[in-house]
Amino acid sequence: MATRSASKGNSKTSKEVIRFSKEICEKMLKDLERARRPMLQATKCSLDNSIYNPSKGFLVPGDKKVKTELNVSSVKKMSRAIFMLEIMLHNLESGAVKTKRELYYIAKGELKQNKKLKPLAFEDENESNAIISFICEMMECYREDFNCIANDRGGQTYSQQLIVVETLPDGKKATVDLSKLGSLPYMPQNRPQNLKLKTKGKIDFGLIVESEGTAKTLVLNGMTKRNKCIVIGSQGVPSNGVRGWVKTIQDQLKIPLYFFGDLDAYTLQNIYRTLKAGSASSLIRNADYCAPDVKFLGVLPEDVERLDLADYPVKETDVSEVRALKKARDAIKNDPFFQNKKNKKLRDILKWLLKEKRRCEQQSFSMVAPRDPIMPEKIILEKIKKRQYI
Amino acid sequence: MAASSRSRITKSSTAEYFAKNLQQVGFSSPTKAVLTTLKESIDNSLDACEEAGVLPEIYLKIERRGKGSLKNTERIYIQVRDNGPGIKPEDLSKVFGEYLASSKFGRGRCSRGQQGIGISAATTWAQQTTATGAKVISKTKSMRKAVSVNIEIDLKNNMGRMKSKKSIDWKYQQGTQVEFLIDGRIQLNGEAGILNFIRGNILLNPHMRLVYQLLDQDEKVIERVSDDVPKVPGAVMPHPHTMKLGEFITHGSLYGREKVRNWLKKGFSRLSDPAIKGIFSEAKLPKSKMDMSLAKVDEKFMKDLYAGIQDYTLKPPATNSVVAVGEEALSKSIRRLGEIDFISVQTRKPTICDFKPVQIEVAIARLKGSSSDSDGSAQVLRFANRVPLQFDKASCAIVKSIQKVNWRTYSLRQSKGSIPNGPYIIAVSVVSPFIKFKNASKETIDAAEELVEEIRRGLMQAGKKLSKHLKREIKARDLKDKIEHIQQFAPILVESLCGITKASAATRKKATDGLYKILDKDSEKAKVQLDEAALKLEKHLSSQLEKMPSVFENALELQQEDDEENLSSGSKKKTAKEIVAELTDMSQFDDDDEEDVKPKKSKKKTAKKTNKKTKKKAKKVAKKATKKKTTKKIAKKKTKKTAKKVAKKKKGKK
Repeated sequence: MATRSASKGNSKTSKEVIRFSKEICEKMLKDLERARRPMLQATKCSLDNSIYNPSKGFLVPGDKKVKTELNVSSVKKMSRAIFMLEIMLHNLESGAVKTKRELYYIAKGELKQNKKLKPLAFEDENESNAIISFICEMMECYREDFNCIANDRGGQTYSQQLIVVETLPDGKKATVDLSKLGSLPYMPQNRPQNLKLKTKGKIDFGLIVESEGTAKTLVLNGMTKRNKCIVIGSQGVPSNGVRGWVKTIQDQLKIPLYFFGDLDAYTLQNIYRTLKAGSASSLIRNADYCAPDVKFLGVLPEDVERLDLADYPVKETDVSEVRALKKARDAIKNDPFFQNKKNKKLRDILKWLLKEKRRCEQQSFSMVAPRDPIMPEKIILEKIKKRQYI
Repeated sequence: MAASSRSRITKSSTAEYFAKNLQQVGFSSPTKAVLTTLKESIDNSLDACEEAGVLPEIYLKIERRGKGSLKNTERIYIQVRDNGPGIKPEDLSKVFGEYLASSKFGRGRCSRGQQGIGISAATTWAQQTTATGAKVISKTKSMRKAVSVNIEIDLKNNMGRMKSKKSIDWKYQQGTQVEFLIDGRIQLNGEAGILNFIRGNILLNPHMRLVYQLLDQDEKVIERVSDDVPKVPGAVMPHPHTMKLGEFITHGSLYGREKVRNWLKKGFSRLSDPAIKGIFSEAKLPKSKMDMSLAKVDEKFMKDLYAGIQDYTLKPPATNSVVAVGEEALSKSIRRLGEIDFISVQTRKPTICDFKPVQIEVAIARLKGSSSDSDGSAQVLRFANRVPLQFDKASCAIVKSIQKVNWRTYSLRQSKGSIPNGPYIIAVSVVSPFIKFKNASKETIDAAEELVEEIRRGLMQAGKKLSKHLKREIKARDLKDKIEHIQQFAPILVESLCGITKASAATRKKATDGLYKILDKDSEKAKVQLDEAALKLEKHLSSQLEKMPSVFENALELQQEDDEENLSSGSKKKTAKEIVAELTDMSQFDDDDEEDVKPKKSKKKTAKKTNKKTKKKAKKVAKKATKKKTTKKIAKKKTKKTAKKVAKKKKGKK
């Protein structure tokens, strides 16, 4: 059986990835030589194999494995996986960096050149993406370890104190002083583990804002000038880059981190939980791609009452909102993160949302003092000061 | 009533009424006129042949004879000849020239004609449009010469008038030939076309030999596929619950001086002595009137008796008055419509719908050579008492029933609530002595709820049979795909693995050999599954064959030939490639040309039967043996126990 011992999901070096890939292929070849069916094994990345480890603070994989033995129904998937592995290894060995979509087109090109490979043709990018994910789950490594990066999305970072030192592929180092970027943000890289952080003096806190627009206005209104802080826009559900970046800040700077977003089921479950404890579909990445120390600053249900914020009912006709509520109901029942007693208060918010069927947006802080442009900042600082977070 | 002195109440004859309202009896357009004339002539011919127990031989000819007198019409000549018993000369004028003069009216039989309107209406149409009437030649067996006569209708008196009557020499022993020259328009194709009408008649009359010549086309001959003349059951007496008060009283008056009890027993079905007694006691009618003459009872008594009968629970009407085509005959007959590779036929048991005996027959056939994905709707053939229905399809009970079935569950494509798509013919025949038509031209069956449900059930049963067959086909195809699938991907896998590991040529060869060993195992497995599927299909085909030999004999024959070939090729182990090649050969059996071969008794079947028998015997013997063994064991144990006991006792004594 071609498999490897379950590691903790840490990043691998290129050499490790190449060596392990070859080990798997050699094992498969040996099985074939002996007329045995080769078998591939990968960690099952789903909620039913997710365990919330309160001491670590994120979702870790359970014992369940997905086994793929060579037979009629798996031969296509297996052939595709080894074909794609060959392409990805070639990339790695040549030092090329590609996105998933580029890999899809490289595969297309290979198939065009070699007509024997025609049966492997991918209908669309989703099919090749699934194969790439399968390879990573099988190897228990990150896609980035194969030099396959995702498009940068979210993570726009603003600070007057932060300095980032990046090790480039050629080994040279680049230093970025965020205070020198003016109103422009710093965008974290796909492999934030390669970044070293320095600070100019002490940083009091980091604030991750769900809406990139809100993050930008906080900065433009002078938040980072008045406070020693880092402001990051997550731009919806945090991408791997954002998750790894926040984790890097947490580990290297050891500053308090707060998440500021809407009060609704989607934000709590899809955005905040993913940032804090990772997701079920990326179980093998969670160790390096989530920041368990991030606190939920709000909007909290008590904020709505205390600040008399405008909230509105969940529209029964809005499919996405109804789906979010249904997911929240499922999360209370099945999600190990929300089920854990450590996260009872978060679970209570989900229950409140299900009961009240109301939602409140982060931008509603602006209505507290309509003429005061920095009122949201004031509320945020007050909440931090009064420890009004979960 | 305020009637002006000028207006007079006039009385018109039945013929006058119909002459003014010919649209009510199927002459609403020139196209319909041709089809109705044709239909009425053929219906009469078939009914006459069946009544006389003669295997019908129908000759049909249609010609264009110039321009018609009506706008946008042509002069059409229609000739229909049969080999029936012929009509006596004195009856000719009544049959073709008098409305409501019928030998079948109200008799409660499943004949095609019922009222005696249709053919007289055709004569009227000919008389009105071309001033010719009907030209009839008829000869019975006892006549030395045939009678040739022109018949016209005296509309005022509803009477037929014979003109130019003469005796002629006719080469046929017996039969009737009717010729019409009418104004009309010919539509050959389409649902309301003449060809469709002929197809319908061919399907529902397997015992009919038809020779037809349409316009300039060559003469075509459709041979009969059955030598059995359908036995039309005798007439049934009306069920009292289907009668209205007026009808009931009139019915009584027909029996003159008959005793009430006898009238009820003879004139109705399901009124036995106990039932009559029950009705009298429950309705508290004087028992003395039971034996009174009908002429002596008053109207009040008749009304009370009617009410009493309606309140009394009677047995539903008998179902033995319906005549069906039968599954075998239908399946043979449907092959005359075109190349068909599968047929599912279902004849429902006669049942009661709305207090009328009804029998439903359904045939679903798949046309050979057409793609099952073809987008057109399935062809629907509707029949009422074996007469094709061609107009007003949408409101017909048959179409409504087809639309009510969820055909997707039977592997057919269908938009919700519509007729399924694909190269199929769905033929539904409704047979009943009392079919409720929507109009006098008998174009549409009334969509009564019970009837629709009964037809739907028949369709579902036929659909199930078809679905089973389609699923088997799909399974066989899937397995074949599986083998091809393995063949496609396996070499690529080895190639990629060797590329990554930079393996030597020797390793590559070894891995390839190993892989083929694995694949051969898979192929064998798939082959076994495929054989099982093929065996199931064969079993199904042979079970169908017993019912409808001609449809399946070819498929089964080819299957058997394949089996024999396989056997003769010996027990050589086959490679995956060979198996794939064989499978593709096997799948072609559907496309081979069909030959008329008589079904052979499958050797396999008999072998299986004997195998089964021997297995059963072996099992019985084995059972007996085990029984004996167990009894011996028990006996041994018992003897041991008793021996021990005796020994113990002896010890104790000591």
